[in-house]
Amino acid sequence: MKVFRSHLLICGGTGCQSSGSLAVKKALLQELDTRALTSEIKVVETGCNGFCALGPIMVVYPEGVLYVSIKVTDIPELVEEHLIKGRVLERLLYREPVTDKIIPTMQDIPFFALQELRVLRNRGLIDPEKIEEYIARDGYAGMAKALTEMKPEQIVKEMLDSGLRGRGGAGFPTGLKWQFAAQSKGDIKYVLCNADEGDPGAFMDRSVLEADPHAVLEGMVIAAKAIGSHQGYIYCRAEYPLAIHRLNIAIAQAKEAGLLGKNILGTGFDFDLEIYQGAGAFVCGEETALMTSIEGKRGMPRPRPPFPAVAGLWQKPSILNNVETLANIGQIILRGSQWYASVGTEKSKGTKVFALTGDVSNVGLVEVPMGTKLGTIVYDIGGGIPKGKKFKAAQLGGPSGGCIPIQYLNEPIDYEKVVELGAIMGSGGLIVMNEDKCAVDMARFFMDFCQDESCGKCTPCREGTKRMLNILTNITQGKGKEGDIELLEEMAGVIKNAALCGLGQTAPNPVLSTIRYFRKEYDDHIRNHRCSAAVCSALFKSPCQHTCPIEMDIPSYIALIRAERFEDAYKILMQTNPFPSVCGRVCDHKCQSKCRRGNMDEPLAIKFLKRFITDNAPRPKIDPVPVTRKEKIAVVGAGPAGLTTARDLALRGYKVTVFEELEKAGGMLSWGIPAYRLPRNILDKEIADIQALGIEIRLNTRVGRDISFAQLEKDFNFIYLACGAHKSQKMGVPGEDLKNVYGGVEFLRDFNANEEKWSRGEKTLGKKVAVIGGGNSAIDAARVALRLGNDVTILYRRLRQDMPAAEEEILAAEHEGIKIEYLVAPLKIAGTKGKVSSISCQRMKLGDFDSSGRKKPVTIVGSEFNLNVDAVIAAIGQVPDMSFVDPACGIKVNKWDCFDIGNDYKSRTPNPRYFAGGDAVTGPDTVIGAIAAGHQAADDIDSAIRKKNGERPYEKPALEKIDVPLIIDEETVETPQMAMPEMDNAIRKNGFAEVELGFTPENAIKEACRCLRCDASV
Amino acid sequence: MAKLTINDLKKIKEKVHAEMALRDGDRRVKITVHMGTCGIASGAREVLDTLLQEIEAAKVNDIIVTTSGCMGLCSREPLVTVEILNQDPIKYEYMNPNKMRQVFKKHILEGEIQTPFVLARGAEIIK
Amino acid sequence: MTMDETEILKEFSPEQIVKLNEIIKKHKGKPGGLIPVLEEAQVSLEYLPMSVQKKIARELNLPLSRVYGVVTFYSFFTMTPRGKYTVRVCLGTACYVRGGKAISETVEKELGINEGETTPDRMFTLETIRCLGACGLGPVVVVNEDVHGRVKSSKVREILSQYK
Repeated sequence: MKVFRSHLLICGGTGCQSSGSLAVKKALLQELDTRALTSEIKVVETGCNGFCALGPIMVVYPEGVLYVSIKVTDIPELVEEHLIKGRVLERLLYREPVTDKIIPTMQDIPFFALQELRVLRNRGLIDPEKIEEYIARDGYAGMAKALTEMKPEQIVKEMLDSGLRGRGGAGFPTGLKWQFAAQSKGDIKYVLCNADEGDPGAFMDRSVLEADPHAVLEGMVIAAKAIGSHQGYIYCRAEYPLAIHRLNIAIAQAKEAGLLGKNILGTGFDFDLEIYQGAGAFVCGEETALMTSIEGKRGMPRPRPPFPAVAGLWQKPSILNNVETLANIGQIILRGSQWYASVGTEKSKGTKVFALTGDVSNVGLVEVPMGTKLGTIVYDIGGGIPKGKKFKAAQLGGPSGGCIPIQYLNEPIDYEKVVELGAIMGSGGLIVMNEDKCAVDMARFFMDFCQDESCGKCTPCREGTKRMLNILTNITQGKGKEGDIELLEEMAGVIKNAALCGLGQTAPNPVLSTIRYFRKEYDDHIRNHRCSAAVCSALFKSPCQHTCPIEMDIPSYIALIRAERFEDAYKILMQTNPFPSVCGRVCDHKCQSKCRRGNMDEPLAIKFLKRFITDNAPRPKIDPVPVTRKEKIAVVGAGPAGLTTARDLALRGYKVTVFEELEKAGGMLSWGIPAYRLPRNILDKEIADIQALGIEIRLNTRVGRDISFAQLEKDFNFIYLACGAHKSQKMGVPGEDLKNVYGGVEFLRDFNANEEKWSRGEKTLGKKVAVIGGGNSAIDAARVALRLGNDVTILYRRLRQDMPAAEEEILAAEHEGIKIEYLVAPLKIAGTKGKVSSISCQRMKLGDFDSSGRKKPVTIVGSEFNLNVDAVIAAIGQVPDMSFVDPACGIKVNKWDCFDIGNDYKSRTPNPRYFAGGDAVTGPDTVIGAIAAGHQAADDIDSAIRKKNGERPYEKPALEKIDVPLIIDEETVETPQMAMPEMDNAIRKNGFAEVELGFTPENAIKEACRCLRCDASV
Repeated sequence: MAKLTINDLKKIKEKVHAEMALRDGDRRVKITVHMGTCGIASGAREVLDTLLQEIEAAKVNDIIVTTSGCMGLCSREPLVTVEILNQDPIKYEYMNPNKMRQVFKKHILEGEIQTPFVLARGAEIIK
Repeated sequence: MTMDETEILKEFSPEQIVKLNEIIKKHKGKPGGLIPVLEEAQVSLEYLPMSVQKKIARELNLPLSRVYGVVTFYSFFTMTPRGKYTVRVCLGTACYVRGGKAISETVEKELGINEGETTPDRMFTLETIRCLGACGLGPVVVVNEDVHGRVKSSKVREILSQYK
């Protein structure tokens, strides 16, 4: 018998075959053949191993090694490594799943635990096609009670007492509706079920019909008994074939069992039921239109009165209830109105089913008591907004409803509250929108819907919606005019009052509600042609460029990287940004948050690509610009805002002098951001380039001390104040004035000024350091402290996802071994001999939502604890230090310690010779924000001068024409963002060398190829 | 089915209740494939077909397979509930034919819960 | 054979006409029978040209204007032939919010037709629709009866190729 040194057992089970085991086997045989191993190694096809989800699977004997998820392309490596070199190929090795994962119970999962199931009580539990299973869960027991034990009046009374209101939208009390119909004279009456669920985003009715159709039938029989009807119709939209199928089965089974038809349950009561299939018209969800449609006509509404309870279908008394309403009835009759009304709010009883969709983690059907907070639905049940995006608004009530924005997350949702907030309950479609949705575009979307679905019978709706749509479309295309908003409001009022039916009367709601909460966005579209969500594509070339505060031409420089024209790419960077190598490292890259590629897999690494250009191309040469203008400008503060203004004005021929209190220019870039993020030589080069234009920077000169405001006013025509925000906010706890308690920026500044002393140990924090705060400067301070050899703990009063610091910074801190304690707030710092010895803290829990949409931390009484520390760094926020300002110069400082800019200006202060910008106006912001402010101020100062001189406005010299190639891949394959190579953890902790190493040209070109070129118009 | 009376309703309730809870009869396992529109669109039909094929191939007859409607959590579909006699139901999420095969072989036949695919155990509480 | 029946025969087979007659017979005389007749006729004939509408009007004893009015009112009915596959891109709110617009643009590009049009080879008709109720899976594309959920632009070609 032939002896083989190895046996390869390839699984040939169905599962593995479906994942390609046959092709793998073929490739393997071929590879063995090529390498002449067929005489030593035998391949055997085996039966199923049971690891079907991990197929194709192969076991190598005699070692017994199990390989999983093998692809044809893995075979050469697998043979080479395992069979020739005798090494296990780790990457394909089967790994035991983490067995200590505890399986949660349904009650551990907030999505399920926080729901109260009444309408959905049978979900997932019964087979909707088996009537017995419905009966087993108390099905038809309510009907039996109504038919045998109750008089019609008692049924109506029970309904009235329950407080149930119509779940289709308007919220009219169901009992009242039944009472009217019951009192109407006539032997023929109809019970109708509205299953024409047309509101986009609502699907609870479909789900109920598919999962529990008998519940609706039972409700209809009870309603029939209450009003004295013997015939019913279910009007179901044709888009729901499965619902219709299951309804048909349910009706047939109920008829066969004598639960529908003649003499139900032997009680002598007759009720028959038919399904009527809608043919696709939204307006047929309106009750009179629905009845006209069943009559076989165009589904147009008719004026009321007469109300359907008096003259409905075929002019007979009729009631129409929606699916969710009817699914409640059997339970109310069986368990009583008291039980039903035990949950809910004063005027809205029971539960409501919401169809939770849109930008939310858990999409699905949610049944909660009326009065549940919006935030509970979105965050606790819905799991919050995916991809770290921010909640913008919830749209409730479909095309008839409105938006509820972030500041109302604490509001209890019931009929009254929702109306007060400008929306309607509607059928309960709750669509969550994140910050990437444009309010104007959403209003246009709904208006387009209503316009399209308007039946055309009445003029206000037919023509009015058309006009409103027209105006909205113009606004989204940058063709909006002043007065458009007021015109929309006026027309909305007319349509609301004059339209014939609910569709028209409510059609303006989405517009009114978005104007109410997002008027600024409308203005921004009309006046500035800006869409902050980067949705209205007629307003911009590409979302990334539109989102960048200085509108850098991102698609062009990325395309030039792809074409390997790095020098040209650098020129593009310099057209708008004097600090590209700084921004390539420390920008908060808002552009990436709107990158369209992010919808597919991950956004482009725009920041890293920018850095790549500055690392790999020669910097364009800078020549001094001759002074051609007589006006002189002083800039106070040599940070990014001040230097940008100085540069722009120098380029326009002005003589600019920059005054800087500290010994080095750069502002926060020098004094706040540590060198491991932004190496000093990189920053120095960019500052030197600005100086090379002919700008003078006077260091160590504090305005107000070393030179007076009066002197400035004498020597200069205009003064730009950009002093930044360099003072830490106080925590307001006892012990804050002890030695070794630092403010975040003060610590960083001291470290940067005295790096030698700190490194040699002449200055020290001690051993254990607590850093308070969750922003970038807290992380910076913590990582610097760690590099000085300290044991560092960050204390933050909220949760990780609430930290304002950049995710990559938090991650880096964690990797380097910094401990972060969440939900902790400082109470008191204790010390001996003026030096810190400990900090006492208390634990927090999360309470209501604040206006930023985060949950507010609330103290847990009795949770106090002590941490022994040698130093405390409080980095909870910064404010500008305004102590240098001379009150005589007529500039205003507001209550946030920032310069006040009037509403009509973007950078001018009340004194027309003074302009201000950057953090000194906005409070702590980003580098790119400061650069944008700098550009703005230069424009404003220059145009003020020209206006005064009666000159023509400045015309920017034509930019150098750089031809940008348009290469787009035919097919896009999902590929994650290129990762930034980083210095090893163990090494980087010991020094201040740059952590991020930069892309290689291969990395960069590959990443650049991921760009979808949204800027291209094909 | 004959026309029912109120007494019949009660009898059906008791009988089916016992069956559904696996108390009655010789069934050991009940598997529910959740099949609303969402579930079907995510591939529940393929999961169900695979399950039926596997049961047939394994020649076991102590398993009931049933379908039901949406569980409410559309974003995790397809969902499958596995109930083994005297054990907590286990709900599996994001199922596909191969995961179903694996769950069938490892969990249903060999009793080893396939933790990586599990959403939760237990059932929703109806108050 | 009447005039409009000769007209119908130009476009439909005798078997289809037999079926149409059965449909009309089934609902004739019922109040509100017009829409069910049209729905079923649409299913078996795929579209409802004037010739068919005339026949239905005459046999149900209704004015043609009434039939025409109903056909043009409801979006389910169409008077022109459709492709073998109807591709419906959902633009309900949930799908719109999750990027349905980009999907519909990609489908337009892939098929080379605009919304409401049919490819010259009569394989595909493209429609946008307002909510299918499969919001949990948005964005959704439906090809005849098959619902494709969580569609991404990059997957559109793959989905359509299953039907080519």
